[in-house]
Amino acid sequence: MELIQVIREYLYFFTTIALVVILYAYILHLYRSEKRGEADYEKYGRLALDDELSDKPIEENIKKESEKRESIKES
Amino acid sequence: MQTNPALEYDYSISKLFLYATIVFGIVGLLLGVVIAFQMAIPQLNYLAGEYGTFGRLRPLHTSGIIFGFTLSGIWAGWYYIGQRVLKISYNEYPFLKAIGYIHFWLYIVLMALAVVSLFAGMTTSKEYSELVWPLDLLVVVVWVLWGVSLFGSMGVRREKTLYISLWYFIATFVAIAALFIFNNLQIPTYFVSGYGAWTHSISLYAGTNDALVQWWFGHNAVAFLFTAAIIALIYYFLPKESGQPIFSYKLSLYSFWGMMFVYIWAGGHHLIYSTVPDWMQTMGSVFSVILILPSWGTAINMLLTMKGQWHQLKESPIIKFLVLASTFYMLSTLEGPIQSIKSVNALAHFTDWIPGHVHDGTLGWVGFMIIAACYHMVPRMYKREIYSGKLMEAQFWIQTTGIVLYFSSMWIAGITQGMMWRATDEFGSLAYSFIDTVTVLIPYYMIRAIGGLLYLIGFIMFTYNIIMTIVASKEIDKEPQYATPIAAR
Amino acid sequence: MFSWLEKNPFFFTVAFLVPFSIAGLVEIVPEFAQASRPTEGLKPYSMLETAGRQVYIKDSCNACHSQLVRPFKSETDRYGMYSLSGEYAYDRPFLWGSKRTGPDLHRVGDYRTTDWHENHMWDPESVVPGSIMPAYKHMFSNSVDIDTAYAEAYTQKVVFGMPYDTPNGVALGSYEEAKALIYDEAKAIVADMKNQDVKDALARGEIKEIVALIAYLNSLSNERRVAQ
Ligand code: HEC
Repeated sequence: MELIQVIREYLYFFTTIALVVILYAYILHLYRSEKRGEADYEKYGRLALDDELSDKPIEENIKKESEKRESIKES
Repeated sequence: MQTNPALEYDYSISKLFLYATIVFGIVGLLLGVVIAFQMAIPQLNYLAGEYGTFGRLRPLHTSGIIFGFTLSGIWAGWYYIGQRVLKISYNEYPFLKAIGYIHFWLYIVLMALAVVSLFAGMTTSKEYSELVWPLDLLVVVVWVLWGVSLFGSMGVRREKTLYISLWYFIATFVAIAALFIFNNLQIPTYFVSGYGAWTHSISLYAGTNDALVQWWFGHNAVAFLFTAAIIALIYYFLPKESGQPIFSYKLSLYSFWGMMFVYIWAGGHHLIYSTVPDWMQTMGSVFSVILILPSWGTAINMLLTMKGQWHQLKESPIIKFLVLASTFYMLSTLEGPIQSIKSVNALAHFTDWIPGHVHDGTLGWVGFMIIAACYHMVPRMYKREIYSGKLMEAQFWIQTTGIVLYFSSMWIAGITQGMMWRATDEFGSLAYSFIDTVTVLIPYYMIRAIGGLLYLIGFIMFTYNIIMTIVASKEIDKEPQYATPIAAR
Repeated sequence: MFSWLEKNPFFFTVAFLVPFSIAGLVEIVPEFAQASRPTEGLKPYSMLETAGRQVYIKDSCNACHSQLVRPFKSETDRYGMYSLSGEYAYDRPFLWGSKRTGPDLHRVGDYRTTDWHENHMWDPESVVPGSIMPAYKHMFSNSVDIDTAYAEAYTQKVVFGMPYDTPNGVALGSYEEAKALIYDEAKAIVADMKNQDVKDALARGEIKEIVALIAYLNSLSNERRVAQ
């Protein structure tokens, strides 16, 4: 019983530290990759704004789209 | 675009949930006002025999607001937002549409049975999961149906990236499912013994264990339903209504994962100073404090989205509701961790400060967010402008006054009560008998009840405005892109 | 998370589920074995007490009353010894409550009596002027559900190994035996009561809710919790 308790305390403690490290590494990663031009996150912010059925998706979900075209043709 | 030009978004399911939001809102708030007045005027307990006492009505109030009003609002939002950010229409997918209808009607059946059984005193006593086991099974079915709709819609999506709101919907779905199941594991006594009521059951866990699971559930269920799911709504409605893309998508990513990682670690804080070990209590408190950072990320993101756009606050009552909702979100996410600091908790636990805290979250953040969402959706779903802007303004101020009365009176009441419980005279013995600590609170209970009443009045104005919008307001020929059209009347 | 995650609902869900489950496991599971051990001499709830506990739950007394004395001097002065985890080992569900509109009841059996409760439940104001607790007159006319009380106690015994029917312990027995027991218990409580309707009902074979509730409130005491 004691042992589980001790193990858990350590687990809890190290997970805490790991979480903090991961979270801060993550935000760094986000800003870095955008600075380097590897990713553009902010364009996804427009998902909420350009949301008419007739608006062009930012990135088409290709596979699904072709299936759908077929089903529309059939009907 | 190869999309069928006649195709439009299907709002029929969202409309049904909108009606449910309004009905449950009125019922849930009314019950809340009744029990609030009961605490100031106990004679009000006898309006409906044994069915009208505080103990019977309190679970009805909480369930009505949490599982009636809030869930309906969330689902009205999901069936509206989901199609739009995925760029699909349920008109193309009869299966998803049918699921939506079944989801709605089973949910209504469930709520009706819940009301009847709670009035009858059939309860497990566990806060926010009072329903007896057969109804728990029905809850699972309803929840699974939502899951089918959620993941089914994503499966056929045209837009590859899931918008922020959907992350929060997913998190809500998964977390509540797990929490609910573990908290409601129970043994039906009839099937073991062959005697008694078939609806009766006892918890699988006993005593302290049961409490651990309950507060793990209690804290997280509130976290996800009142926080994550409502954040899902604001991430869509604030940008859309204001015409401003979210200030920082990166910050929203960060605060999502930050919140998910950290929030679920803080579940211990309800157990402070009970019989669980010391270190767990301390850790629980520390984490609740760390919690401020990621949960504020969302609120900051919202307020910064309005950067340079603050004139909209004057022009649009909907923006007013949205911004005040974010502000109350910040307030209650600050207050929560403060209350979980050991010495503060020692004072605040079991007092009226706790319901006070819960209500600046629910009335200010959840309530205002859902109200704003309805005001945004209704003109688009019915192709009419909002019936009265003046009424919205009045509603806003009446309800805000109500909230301020509510939480300020409960702050004072809670702290007074906590101080009096521990006060001693010069010989070190207790200064007050328990009843002294009750009678002194009656004026505050009165103020709180009046605050609640104001909020209810505002909600009735809201209902009137929505009904008039649907039946009598000026028609618009095109869905507005951003700001919702509001009649000057 | 790294931009592909938001494009894949399945892995997104998994990514969320993993930390969520770990947190749950770490928070909950290790507590379990430890917290469930009963204190020395703790007795199970008798039939009538079980029925009373069901009444307590039915009317959600826990909405206004806690059953958790915290380890502060101000609380132990007011309510008695602070609560121990093991004292709750037979409580399914737990009834700690979360709000103290009324006082804590975890040790109320040590300082209140049957006739005090009878008067108080009938009309709290008459016993404690200024009380805002509702009166529970309907408990004097509603009868308890003996079968469900038996079903609960029986389940506690066979599924969870609650120590009924041990030498010198609390008896349960078969359904018929349990029924005989609950009437004996009820007689003992009613003997201390003055309400004539409740007495007449018992003579007819009906046990009113108030009788069971009082038995339960009386059981929240050292007598049930400590080896004699
Ligand atoms: C609206 C809240 C409320 C509800 C519901 C409620 N009570 Fe009370 N109760 C109080 C208040 C306030 C007091 C303190 C004043 C008094 O003694 O009447 C109290 C006092 C008591 C006391 C006296 C405790 C003592 O140490 O003096 C007992 C026993 C009690 N309640 C039992 C019950 C039972 C059993 C139920 C459920 C059937 C119940 N209460 C429901 C508010 C409530």
